[in-house]
Amino acid sequence: MALKDFEHDMQRCSRCSYCKWIPFENQQNMDFIKGCPSAARYNFHAYAASGKWNMSYAFLNERIDHSDAFQDAVYRCMMDGCCDVSCKTVQDIEPLQLMYELRKKFVEDGQILPEHMLTIDGLKKEDNMMQGKKVDRGKWAKGIKVKDLTKEKAKVAFHAGCRYSYDEELWPIVRGALQILIDAGVDVGIWGKDEVCCGGRAESMGFAGELTKYADHTLEALKAAGVETLVNPCSDCYQCYKVEYDKIGKKPPVEVLHITEYLHRLIQDGTIKLTKQVPLTVTYHDPCHLGRLAEPWVHWEGKEVKVMGQMICHEPPKQFRRGARGVYDIPREVIKSIPGVRLVEMYRNRESAWCCGAGGGVKDAYPEFANWTAGERIREAKAVGAKALVSACGWCRRNFMDAMEDGAARIEVYDIIELVQKAM
Amino acid sequence: MALTDIEYQALEDIVGPENISREPAILDTYDQCWGHKAVFDQKFSTRPAAVLLPGSSEECQAIVKACNRYRILFKPFSSGFEIVAFALANERGILLDLKRMDRILEIDVENMHAVVEPYVNIYRLQREAMKHGLVMGSIGAGPSGGVIAGSCCHFGGGTTMVSTGGLGRSVLGVEWVLPTGDVLSMGTAESEMGWFTADGPGPSLRGVLRGRSGSNGGSGIITKASVKLYPWYGPPDIKFTAAPGVPPSGKRISEVPPNYKAMIIMFPSQSAMFEALINIGKAEIASALMGALVFPYGEGNDEQWAVIQQMAAAGISFTQVASQGVALILGSGTQRGLEYKEKCLMEIAGQMGGGPVPIPPSDQAGLFAAAMLHFGFVTAAFRRTGDFFVSPTSDGSPDFMLNLRKNAEQMLKPYMEKGLFQQLGIPEMFVMPGENNSIGFHEENVSFYDPWDPDSLDALRDMVHKSEDPNGQFRSYGVPHLGGGLQIEWVSHVHQNFGPIYDNYDKWMRSIKGMLDPNGVGDWSAYIPAIFP
Repeated sequence: MALKDFEHDMQRCSRCSYCKWIPFENQQNMDFIKGCPSAARYNFHAYAASGKWNMSYAFLNERIDHSDAFQDAVYRCMMDGCCDVSCKTVQDIEPLQLMYELRKKFVEDGQILPEHMLTIDGLKKEDNMMQGKKVDRGKWAKGIKVKDLTKEKAKVAFHAGCRYSYDEELWPIVRGALQILIDAGVDVGIWGKDEVCCGGRAESMGFAGELTKYADHTLEALKAAGVETLVNPCSDCYQCYKVEYDKIGKKPPVEVLHITEYLHRLIQDGTIKLTKQVPLTVTYHDPCHLGRLAEPWVHWEGKEVKVMGQMICHEPPKQFRRGARGVYDIPREVIKSIPGVRLVEMYRNRESAWCCGAGGGVKDAYPEFANWTAGERIREAKAVGAKALVSACGWCRRNFMDAMEDGAARIEVYDIIELVQKAM
Repeated sequence: MALTDIEYQALEDIVGPENISREPAILDTYDQCWGHKAVFDQKFSTRPAAVLLPGSSEECQAIVKACNRYRILFKPFSSGFEIVAFALANERGILLDLKRMDRILEIDVENMHAVVEPYVNIYRLQREAMKHGLVMGSIGAGPSGGVIAGSCCHFGGGTTMVSTGGLGRSVLGVEWVLPTGDVLSMGTAESEMGWFTADGPGPSLRGVLRGRSGSNGGSGIITKASVKLYPWYGPPDIKFTAAPGVPPSGKRISEVPPNYKAMIIMFPSQSAMFEALINIGKAEIASALMGALVFPYGEGNDEQWAVIQQMAAAGISFTQVASQGVALILGSGTQRGLEYKEKCLMEIAGQMGGGPVPIPPSDQAGLFAAAMLHFGFVTAAFRRTGDFFVSPTSDGSPDFMLNLRKNAEQMLKPYMEKGLFQQLGIPEMFVMPGENNSIGFHEENVSFYDPWDPDSLDALRDMVHKSEDPNGQFRSYGVPHLGGGLQIEWVSHVHQNFGPIYDNYDKWMRSIKGMLDPNGVGDWSAYIPAIFP
């Protein structure tokens, strides 16, 4: 796809502004109806998805060129896809895929943020998005007896991901997850210092080539290790393996699971038992990459056709990804299975969840905006009476902590893995 | 023409640098909207010289005064979901995006009204009002339409008109930054007695404020408005639900609230249907009412097409339901009242040979959300073919409307038969009696076309040429469009063409415009200038 391929979609944006809010059908509390952090924070229409259609169309028509304003609006976006869900309640167009193409085009044209370039340089040299040394990647697992997938075969590969591998404060989470699997007798292994980035976050910044590169690497690594199931504590990695690789025709020939899905299985079949009371009122934050963005990719090849004279349809019929088929219930079922935990829902949940703020390279380039976005989510969590905010992604966990350091209201923050550990 | 640095600085000093832009990339997000291709032959209208995001009435006032000082054209808007929101008469014009003014200032339960700022949308106010047993009228723009835009500045009408009137009938006072920069508080708000009525001693300014169809940003900025609220017989909160995996567009209210009923009544002919509509109005039984609100909506167009094919296979005539069916919502504070209204309706329908169409409960709930809250209208207007156009349209007596409908049908049919508009068998015509028919019927004849299909676009233009020809067959049905709609005066010349036909109404409008806006800084694109250029 190229930007030009979205021209018809650009023309069809009616400017209804649904992209600024969560779907009207999902609006519960009128204090929490905004869906797009960028449009909510920066107000100009350019920061909403509709504005991106408008700017892209102006760009294609050579009315505007690359400019700081254009760049600012394009990069101050978490690529979280809430706009995509809302838009598609009334339209058959693809706002999020346009954003991928727009950023790809910016990168091709050399319109790259210095902060992103720094991250990508690090990725190219050290295979991670954290500007860490490759040799340090496996340190998080130090002392855990687990198969080394570079030397041994295992049915299950545990991919820690860049955030968990290099964020020492989060190591207990990922170590805990791995230990649960080992203790449950799962035939599991890790790549340690040879684990590499999935490429998903680079793709979301516009560096599509990195996605392809790491997809090729991962497919080879999975094959070499004889892996049947790839388990991810990081939602970003999970979504990338499950959806983005499929999108570019490199779907892994293995089962891709998020750790919550695997834990759910172990709880369901009685392998692990949650017996200890965890008396806590929690709310669950749907990570974008585990929720709406994790809806399976739908391949479609065909053409647009007109029926009833001018009604725009497709041959064969095209199923749009509208966000409802992400992973929503399983994390909630895991939380509910913990004795003593009371789960209360936030007003914006499931496909309408407000982003934590860490995605799309925003945390790298605009940390104050990332923190503001997380602060808004914490405000919502407190509004529903939660004492703790629970997520299922290291990026969310980190960003909530950073926001609180930056002045956001205080709340306990957990990963689901931590709650499961408490209950075991 | 760009603003000078001095002019720009003067505006920036008012709102702050983060709330003003003259970057082309930002500006080109304020000149694209639906309908543009048909009117301007491209997606773009006039690129503004700057866009400002004022945060208060005081800032709006200061901006307007600066515009008078420097002779800069200005136009305010809220959601911007309309071609008339952006089009400027020249490039030395600025747009005021009122997004930052988004507070519901008051819901006065006892006196049944609410005071809001410009960026409050209809659905938000509806939901807040429901908590107090109240609701406001809905309009065709759907839930995202602005309360103030629909009430004070533009034609806002829809399915609840039967019980609430068009939104313009519900204005109970405004804070109005006139095009001179002076602030006028209309009605009781002026004497700080509350916002309960827009009229006081002396002549009413409500007609000057908006008339039938609003000045569409052409006569200043409404920074606060009080709007009337109406009884809501449902629960204080409503929730849309669906099975797992069903996207939000497929969600439905689980059931029609117990004190409401959602129904479709079919009649043997259009004239029987119109006669019944009159009697339904007389009986004052409907909360929402509309001729033809039955186009089936699917998750996407492909799914929608599948449903239409299934209907056809089952022998259900969509065309017949659309032309001779009435969708309506009955509501009452008591079950006894509801039973009475239903009995009344059945009696009226029976007299005209009509009867209810069986609808599954889930579809009844969908009909309820569509008719009471206008869910589905954005989908209906834009997803099917890319765009829509409303013409001819008018307000008047039932017989007058029936006559218009028949003529419109004859004119529109050939375009559909050739596949240039969506083929619906008959044109989609929305008939909405206003205030129990005490102010007549409102009717819109809708064509669904693809503006990016040259043949479809040509057909649309040909149709508009016919329906808006001051010497054509629709000359006697009133001034075309809704006064706003897709009317850009410097393109369509509607007021210039139809003023002389209708009592030189344009002279009165131009006089008022000249009086309110002596320096001509309020953009007149979707209104009228004091002197036609």
